[in-house]
Amino acid sequence: MNKKVLATFFATVFTVTTLAGCGGGSTATPASNDSDSKAAETTESTDTTASNDAAETTETADASTSAGKQTDGKNVPELTTEPLTITLWDIATEDPGKSTQEAAVQRFMADYPNITVEQVHQQNDTYKQQLVVAMSSGQAPDMYMHWGGGPMAEYYKSGFANDITDMYAKYDHPEFIDAAIAQSSYDGKLLAIPYGGLSGCDIYYNKTIFAELGLEVPETIDELEDVCAKLKEAGYIPFALANASKWTGSMYYMYLVARHSGNAEFDAAYTQENGGSFNSPAFKFAAEKIQDWVKKGYFPDGVNSLTADDNQDRALMYDGSAAMMLHGSWQSSGMKADNEEWYTENIGIFRFPEDAEAKANGVPQNVEIGTAIGNGFSFNCFNSDGSVDQAKLDACFVLATQYYNDETYNNMQVEVGAIPSIKGYGAETVDDPNDKYVADVFFSASNVQLWYDQYLPASVTEVHKNCMTELFGLEKTPEEIGQEEDDAMQKALAEQ
Amino acid sequence: MGKGKKVGLAQAKAKSTARAASVFLAPALLLIAIFIVYPVIDTFLISGYKWNGISVDRIYIGLENWNTLLHDEMFWKSFSHNLIVMVFSILLQIPLGMALATYLDAGGKKFNAFKVIWFLPYLMSSVAIAFLFNYALATNGGIISSLATLIQGKRTTIDLLGTSPNALYTVIGVMAWQFTPFYMVYFIAGYGNIDTTIYEAAVIDGATRWQYIKLIAIPLLGPIFKTACTMSLIGSLKYFDMIWNMTQGGPAGSTELMATYMYKLSFQQFNMGYGSTVAAGMFLLITAIALLFNKVFKVKEDY
Repeated sequence: MNKKVLATFFATVFTVTTLAGCGGGSTATPASNDSDSKAAETTESTDTTASNDAAETTETADASTSAGKQTDGKNVPELTTEPLTITLWDIATEDPGKSTQEAAVQRFMADYPNITVEQVHQQNDTYKQQLVVAMSSGQAPDMYMHWGGGPMAEYYKSGFANDITDMYAKYDHPEFIDAAIAQSSYDGKLLAIPYGGLSGCDIYYNKTIFAELGLEVPETIDELEDVCAKLKEAGYIPFALANASKWTGSMYYMYLVARHSGNAEFDAAYTQENGGSFNSPAFKFAAEKIQDWVKKGYFPDGVNSLTADDNQDRALMYDGSAAMMLHGSWQSSGMKADNEEWYTENIGIFRFPEDAEAKANGVPQNVEIGTAIGNGFSFNCFNSDGSVDQAKLDACFVLATQYYNDETYNNMQVEVGAIPSIKGYGAETVDDPNDKYVADVFFSASNVQLWYDQYLPASVTEVHKNCMTELFGLEKTPEEIGQEEDDAMQKALAEQ
Repeated sequence: MGKGKKVGLAQAKAKSTARAASVFLAPALLLIAIFIVYPVIDTFLISGYKWNGISVDRIYIGLENWNTLLHDEMFWKSFSHNLIVMVFSILLQIPLGMALATYLDAGGKKFNAFKVIWFLPYLMSSVAIAFLFNYALATNGGIISSLATLIQGKRTTIDLLGTSPNALYTVIGVMAWQFTPFYMVYFIAGYGNIDTTIYEAAVIDGATRWQYIKLIAIPLLGPIFKTACTMSLIGSLKYFDMIWNMTQGGPAGSTELMATYMYKLSFQQFNMGYGSTVAAGMFLLITAIALLFNKVFKVKEDY
């Protein structure tokens, strides 16, 4: 009897620990540690009905290309006729991204039958870690997606990304918008081909609540504060914010800094030169404003424990308790997927209001926050002696520029609400009025500031995100937060 | 000659035993060498480098990482969180497990249903538990906040995971929920190992149930207590999975443990060299504490 109890006990323990072991590595959880999910959503979070349309488009595309290669007559590198295998990593585990991207690979393989593309869809949440492990163990894929910014620079510096500046200048390629090229470059070198489409960041608002209280869309930050005060008085939460994710709160911070100083103070703080600091006036302004708003109750209670991965911010919009939400443009398709009727009836959008005082002093008011590429592909085509494997690189380049990003691909993207970061895909190609607005704002921006948490070096990102918790939790003063970010930035710069 | 042959037989036997032993032990030893010994040694080696984890060049910097570690506020803060978790784990999980086991042991067969139900939390994966509690404790529609709203009659938020000391104690509570059943079954097995004749003798001598538990059963369970405490101690010092999925060390580092800190450094911040130093530091600290604990307890036993 006793032995039996013990035996059962240990059997269970072993089973459980084994299971737990598996769970640790492979469980796909939406609790993504950083901004991955937002980038992913730009390509993934669109209603599934669109995937049917997407599939139909593929068929017609296949038929039309059967006559010859779709690269015929274009200035592209001559690809090898030897058998070649390319491994490709992306995060398109779900439709519509999955079928759109698989179709691009299929079209490529149909045109170049000697080249095999092994397309591996990795889970988004652990993607960065998987990539690091693969690179350190010499198993890195030949072609891999990323979100640009600090990590891309890190891959390049470690010798896992080809410099494609010259190829891009020499061969045909889609006309990417300048912001997308800038975001795919580091140190003046082009390191990636964008393919995910852009995401803006603007304020979604509940039109019905605004109408009920007779509120106008605010044009300046002062007006925005008036609107907040009135909403609060009427019992609404002015802003739906889920700040456990931290990059969500960062959006308010980034925009207040951008409206107060354009790109100037952030760029200065990034280099920490010429008096640049995360404690310069714009950062102080942003931090103080946010803390003032927190104290006035403009954000939901318990803001630091609501997570954007579970869409708890959206939930506050849905139940009518919150009136506005500053968020990435992928939220349109997300809300539409949840309840299109409600969305169309109630949700409008406006850009982050201007800082009237700064505007009077000549600070540009059209710096937008967001990502111009969504995702990009970098290439890791090197021989064992470290020289470039040109045959493979050529094939990857053609795949990324001519099959991803071709007309079929872009139409499929537009179909599901993504806006390719290619010239010509402006507001007119988009149906949804809110998305149209986002595209308009984006294309007329004087500059696009990539999310801090993707732009900053990885160690500073971590500090910045913690600072956002402390800021909204009123746990630290604006000066202390600026100091923390400065310290982290200086440390990161010293290590470079 | 005959004598010599006898020795030879003994030798042959010893030899064949040794051979059999090595054959049977080899696979396990090999696995241990590959998956435990080698990584531990490698971790210590990497801790001497400045390395981002992917680059071919590692720069040897000697003990600089270790020097950083000694002065790293965040690491010692994480360590102090580990210590808090450790103390509360031992204080909560083991007495609770013991109490439940005692109750079930007293109840006998008719409590078998409870035995199963109370064991369930331990069967769930840590990730699932993390999600379960994240939803239950959510300020927006979670059980606690909804109940509070119901009682107060107006929108009330009880923020257990989003503010700084609450989060750590909430996580400790969830850990207790998860691991108490483990110690419960452990103690049930312990009770089962006490010879029933001892109980019968005690009853004949007129001991009450409580006297039996206090004066006979608990002292007899002594070694089991010690093992349980050591397990809880080591477990809470290297804890990672549930906390990672619940808070990722947040808000603002208030639930950061050594393991989450190490993970962030190694895999998110491109700082594998220093991350390995943290891992090696953890290894040393945990070993030291476990040895110290065992030593202290042995001394006590000798009295």
